[in-house]
Amino acid sequence: MMSEFSYVGANITRVDVLEKVTGQAVYTGDIELAGMLHVKLLRSPYPHAKIHRIDSSKALKVPGVKAVLTGQDAPSRRWGTFLADRPLLAQEVVRFIGEPVAAVSATTIEAAEEAVDAINVEYEELPAIFDPELAMSKEPPVIVHPDLPKYHTKLTGFLRPRLEPDMPNVINHYKIRCGDIDQGFKEAELVVENRYTTSRIQHCYIEPPTVIALFDVNGTLTIWSKSQTAWRQRAAIIDIFGLSPSKVRFITPYVGGGFGGLTWVYEALTSLVAMQTPGRPVKLVLSREEAFIDAPARIPFVVYVRDGVKRDGTIVAREIKMILDAGAYSAYTGLIVKNASFGTVGTYRIPNFKLDSYGVYTNNPPNSSFRGLGSCQAEWAIESQMDEIAERLGMDPVEFRKKNMLHEGDRNVQGEIAHSVGAEECLDKAASLIRWDEKPEQEPGPWKKGKGIAVGNKYTIAGTDSCALVKVREDGAVNVFHTGSEIGQGCDTVFAQIAAEEMGLPMDMVKITRGDTDITPYDWGTASSRLTFYIGNAVRMACQDAKRQIAELASEKLGVPADELRVHANKIYQRGKPDAVLNVPELFRSGGYVGKGAEIVGRATFSCPVTPEDIETGQGERLVAYFSYGAHAVELAVNVETGEVKVLKFVGAFDMGRPINPKMCEQQMEGGMSMGIGSTLYEETVVENGIVINPNFVSYKIPTITEHPLIENVKFDSAPAPHREGPFGAKGLGEGVLIPSAPAIASAIYNAVGIRIRDLPITREKIIKALEEAIKSVDLLGGGSV
Amino acid sequence: MKQRLDFVVNGERVAVYVEPWRTLLEILRDELKLKGVKEGCSSGMCGACTVLIDGKPVKSCLVLAPQVEGKSILTIEGLIRDGQLHPLQQAFIEHFAVQCGYCTPGMILSAKALLDENPRPTEEEVREALRGNLCRCTGYVKIVEAILACSKKDWEG
Repeated sequence: MMSEFSYVGANITRVDVLEKVTGQAVYTGDIELAGMLHVKLLRSPYPHAKIHRIDSSKALKVPGVKAVLTGQDAPSRRWGTFLADRPLLAQEVVRFIGEPVAAVSATTIEAAEEAVDAINVEYEELPAIFDPELAMSKEPPVIVHPDLPKYHTKLTGFLRPRLEPDMPNVINHYKIRCGDIDQGFKEAELVVENRYTTSRIQHCYIEPPTVIALFDVNGTLTIWSKSQTAWRQRAAIIDIFGLSPSKVRFITPYVGGGFGGLTWVYEALTSLVAMQTPGRPVKLVLSREEAFIDAPARIPFVVYVRDGVKRDGTIVAREIKMILDAGAYSAYTGLIVKNASFGTVGTYRIPNFKLDSYGVYTNNPPNSSFRGLGSCQAEWAIESQMDEIAERLGMDPVEFRKKNMLHEGDRNVQGEIAHSVGAEECLDKAASLIRWDEKPEQEPGPWKKGKGIAVGNKYTIAGTDSCALVKVREDGAVNVFHTGSEIGQGCDTVFAQIAAEEMGLPMDMVKITRGDTDITPYDWGTASSRLTFYIGNAVRMACQDAKRQIAELASEKLGVPADELRVHANKIYQRGKPDAVLNVPELFRSGGYVGKGAEIVGRATFSCPVTPEDIETGQGERLVAYFSYGAHAVELAVNVETGEVKVLKFVGAFDMGRPINPKMCEQQMEGGMSMGIGSTLYEETVVENGIVINPNFVSYKIPTITEHPLIENVKFDSAPAPHREGPFGAKGLGEGVLIPSAPAIASAIYNAVGIRIRDLPITREKIIKALEEAIKSVDLLGGGSV
Repeated sequence: MKQRLDFVVNGERVAVYVEPWRTLLEILRDELKLKGVKEGCSSGMCGACTVLIDGKPVKSCLVLAPQVEGKSILTIEGLIRDGQLHPLQQAFIEHFAVQCGYCTPGMILSAKALLDENPRPTEEEVREALRGNLCRCTGYVKIVEAILACSKKDWEG
């Protein structure tokens, strides 16, 4: 199928894998620097309190302690991705249990810990608020950030958070209006209305959050961090401390898992600590417990959906209200309020549509970005509705979805024209893989089997940029420079494949240099499943630029016009001549440079245009870069005595445009299945009055190797709808692979035992309770036993 | 306070001087600079720091220094022999069983302990042996495939 290409579309061995199987791959925590100090943080025991006094005198006397910092030492400029609302250390007020109040650096971890224990803080407890629906009310009992209207944001226009003056805890309100919603419901023959919720999910990357910072004697600040947004964190640090950009360098080594969770204050906070000890690097490693509390988790959503449909299965109206609990600081919540809404518009054609999405401050620990950026939560509600409506109409859920699905050229409810829509093919393939037409074979005993299916979309952000440099070496090999983060998704391999394809070079003549802002060019961030599309395009364009430069140098050398020359596979060809007229290495002088301009460096910036949508209606021309699609189908068994769920078969098909490396796409799809099983069936950070009750891997369980269907029962396929702007037609994949999992599993549970759970996760306790209630209601109706 | 410990790491005898309350994880990473041993949770829950002690998989964050006296430790760095990748390393590469790579050293070592004892495990036995090693990226499918593929070849340990 991909035979037109040599490397694109091939299962090339990952370029990072040899280092990783031999233990040689360097992660941030593996870096040791001379004189390195250790950082520990003192965190707030109260969800909301005034700080009256901090006494650090005893801490400073602990031998080995180099610095003790509090909010008074922190700059007035705050940190925040879309709204600068978070002080590096609490200033006057703490807003959640676990908020850093003081930081210590010391020569040993033990001394730092002892000093943290020796800091004495006097607090005055304030009333706190934990319920986002109460917090968003017009007269909330607690206002978490009274200064919210004064907070700094660099964002303008449609990206600027929309505050609601009479809802003082609301940090953003996003609206979509399409058609006439009242008229739509008048036309409806069936109205289905439900409330859905999702839990606070942890990213659970296995590498703990780790940052090293060195403020050297020349005044240069170098940061090493497991990050997904090196350039933007660097910009935030430049802004917060007022440093010269030439003096801030941000390095991202290999990242031991990200999943969108690396949007935190820690690079800026560690930099602040490093500035106290010029010449001595400082290292912060969060404990797993700290990571569960204050490395932002997935935002819990409350989603109200009201749908109006015709008896023939046509959706005529959909009204949605989403409430996002930001916790005490906003991080990405402002953006998620808006972008989660795209999840509700990307799959279906709906003539009358209304959406209101709100982000709300509470005194819970902060929540933020997570694989899917809100689409998982929004589509959990949408797809569950689709399943329920199909049942109420007596329609097959696959057919009901297909009847309302967007197709190429359709206009979605925000006014965008759909392009590259693989949704229907994904759904058909998933249905076929699970044998949707066949009922599961039931066996005697407490285990009841069921099947479920769901589809999903994931937008990729528009209006951002990525750059790449491609340097040609004296043997004709190329070195690709980029600032994506290799978080496991395989971006280095994708870019190497694209460069090999574009240059006609073998893989071993492509080297990747990544993640150092002194060396590698700008990228907006490893987020939104955007790297293959954005940096992939930039790499391809930079290769083309390098070939253009090669042709120009060859033109001078040969006395032939450059436009008659073509560069491929380390050779230069002239129009009309079958054999190469020059080899690329012949352009170099001994030592590895060229006679004009020192080096051959292809350069490119790839930008994806965006048009601002109307802030009252959400209508616009180009709101996203593209949508990727996918479908999951599962067969599972529910034990009606214990509530236990066993996933027996898990299949799916995804539209990632043209897959650059199909095996790596499989890796993503299988990983999405795993996270899908965990986040649907048991993952939940239990927060009671602001306290995280289960901050570890024993009481917060993620799937182990024993909790998945066996190999022959896992099958993922691709259903590529190549995108006209993608590099070789490719789109992103990494987030979409999670999205249909929860509604598919919930649908299968309903199919098995007839209960609908609308609050994630669908735990054994919830299943047993729902089964008991179902039995009771049957008893009340005189229906006898089930 | 420090005491001398003699043991074998990756086939070589070593002596280290450490406080008795140091963990094997700290000794391997901080004293012997074997950074292929990964720290994930420091409480025995994730398995990233798994090493083999006398052939048995152990979470090195739970082992105190005196417990390793006289023992033989194998870390990921010790798997390459004569410049050749170990068959499990090769299988993890070929089967795309690696993503972020942070759990990989512990996974490979747990798998080695299994195959040394049971060269032809069933899929269930592979899963049982690796249940203490968490991975958030892969969904484990390709890890199981890699180990089973390895077990089908002649297992030489």
